[in-house]
Amino acid sequence: MMLPLPALVLLAPLVAFAVVALYPSLRRRGPAAGLAVVTGSSVSLLAGVLMLVGQQGLDRPVAHQVWRWMPSAGQDLAQVGWLVDSTSAPMVVVVGLVALCVQIYSFGYLHDEPGPALGRYYAWHALFVVAMQTLVMAPNLMQAFIGWELVGLCSYLLIGYWWKEAYVGKAAVKAFWVNKVADGGLLLGLIVLGGATGSFEWDPTKLDPALLTAVTLLLFVGVMGKSAQVPLHVWLPDAMAGPTPVSALLHAATMVAAGVFLVVRAWPLFEGAETTLTIMCWFGGVTAFAAACFALVEDDVKKMLAFSTCSQLGYMVAALGSGALVAGYFHLTTHAMFKALLFLGAGSLIHAVGTNAMSEMGGLRKQMPGTFVLFTIGCLALAGIPPLAGFFSKDLVLEGLLHGGQFGPLALCLVGVVLTAVYSGRAVVKIFFGELRSPDAHPHESPPSMMGPMLLLGAATIIVGFLGAQFSGLVNGTPDGAFHVAPVGVAGLVLALVGLAIGKWLADGGSVAQLEGLGEYIFSSPLDRFYETVWRRVLLVGAAWLAWVDRYVVDGLMNLVGWGSMVAAERARKLQTGLVTDYVAAVVVGVLVVALYTASGI
Amino acid sequence: MALGVLPWLLLSAALFSTGLFGLLTRKHAIGLLISVELMANAVNLNLVAFGYFRGDLMGQVLALFGIALTVAEVVVGLALVIQLHRHNRSIDVDSARELAG
Repeated sequence: MMLPLPALVLLAPLVAFAVVALYPSLRRRGPAAGLAVVTGSSVSLLAGVLMLVGQQGLDRPVAHQVWRWMPSAGQDLAQVGWLVDSTSAPMVVVVGLVALCVQIYSFGYLHDEPGPALGRYYAWHALFVVAMQTLVMAPNLMQAFIGWELVGLCSYLLIGYWWKEAYVGKAAVKAFWVNKVADGGLLLGLIVLGGATGSFEWDPTKLDPALLTAVTLLLFVGVMGKSAQVPLHVWLPDAMAGPTPVSALLHAATMVAAGVFLVVRAWPLFEGAETTLTIMCWFGGVTAFAAACFALVEDDVKKMLAFSTCSQLGYMVAALGSGALVAGYFHLTTHAMFKALLFLGAGSLIHAVGTNAMSEMGGLRKQMPGTFVLFTIGCLALAGIPPLAGFFSKDLVLEGLLHGGQFGPLALCLVGVVLTAVYSGRAVVKIFFGELRSPDAHPHESPPSMMGPMLLLGAATIIVGFLGAQFSGLVNGTPDGAFHVAPVGVAGLVLALVGLAIGKWLADGGSVAQLEGLGEYIFSSPLDRFYETVWRRVLLVGAAWLAWVDRYVVDGLMNLVGWGSMVAAERARKLQTGLVTDYVAAVVVGVLVVALYTASGI
Repeated sequence: MALGVLPWLLLSAALFSTGLFGLLTRKHAIGLLISVELMANAVNLNLVAFGYFRGDLMGQVLALFGIALTVAEVVVGLALVIQLHRHNRSIDVDSARELAG
């Protein structure tokens, strides 16, 4: 009997992970381990594509299977299994595709790494795919939470890949902590939901409106952490300390989008919570705008892209908040393609020039024509220029905001469109035109193992935009009509073109100095300092206090009991004389006592 | 002349007390064994006496069991005494005080 496809999606990378993790001799030969993991991911992707094809035109889930989990007192804690329907099938393919591209790309990008380190890297990659697909195909919130925590763990491990540098370890810990804070909200939401309805289904029974608002707000706190919404976005720029392919896969395309996906998945819950949706919309709009501002003043190409990711996630959240489910989800899909492409392109640049600073690059279009074309495609898609994917999805987002009547967030997003175009245009001009500013760099085009995945993602960036109607049909269950461009989309396009022009002017002109002054202010960020104060003054002090209580009160009590026993035992051992006669006497006395007791008839 | 069971019980009590006295005062391992033997036989004597005067065989049968058990006990006891002697070059029981606290 053949394995069901969803099982294949999960098991192929899981087997790869187990093999690489359990056979040190394979793991230490880095590229061999990589090959095993890439094989697993390929099988996983293939199964995912087959499921997506199978889902076409089907009005029920293509695969749905649950098992009882931890049954007790006639009730299950939850169920585990898989649910592949029109909502999760596209995401399974997106995750599989980007993961495979990134894993192949890593062969070229990390070819200088020692074997054992590379083996470890690939093992975590395989684990990430398992975790992410567990989350995506989860049939209920409980399993999604398990996957959610596991991808968080993988994120921590992969950010800290170069852990010997102190700042890398700190970045990993920071990402972990900020996510844990947010996950606290998610967990609380889970508990409240489970307590109120007794189940963790995506489509729960009717909830009290106040309770529904509470649950969705708590879930949204988790989403804010994972999807890096202001003010919990601080971990994402630091997460760029990890290898660039990791940034492409986890911190641009898939893991950070998990928050958005969770809202899409739990839409039956969110749909009815008006208050939560409005709050989401505003958070998304503010993030879209603020993160674009941060990106504008950033010179590190990876950090610029990280802020850009925050900003684009803001668009998705805003779209969902305005009720435009398909728009948000579609933007997630297109963004996964072009942002992964951009990150891989950035990796190609860093690989060639040996620095992250855009101010040290320049004129690279001659030495790296392939990267130039692909990176520019990515940037144009990001800016929202037709016919690239970003244009179509961003148009849908803006339209959704307009239809939802969310004019505040819409204004923020429209300004964000300009800013996005400014920093994208500025990046392209700064990196690829003019003169090379780093004197000791010898740029060269990247090897085929890196260009191949980039080509694939570049093609996806061009194609996916045209699939909007099919996508909408798939997710909505009803085929949508032909794609049409709304007036607000045209406005967005005009704004984007203006932005590109400003970007070029900024890159050419010298007026960047003022911007960099602003950057100084933003990056000695008050928010970061606030979090640090909370961490030092509240968390660490509180922890020290608790440690004192534990050591001297809780442990003290235990030690007292132990000490009392010791003293008592020291006294009692004197009874043991070791003389047979004494024991006999004791027996005689004992027998007499028992005999008298029995005889007295008490 | 019907003295009944009483003289036998008195004899048995005397035997038992002698044994107990020996057990509590002797330090010689063989002496201890002999004392235990006296006590056991006091019990056997009781059993036989009661059995005889009740007119059934139960007492005798139990006494036979008791004797068999006593034999086994003595075997073990003597083996212990031999080991004690090998170990301590003495069969004074006070020489074995390893269990003292």
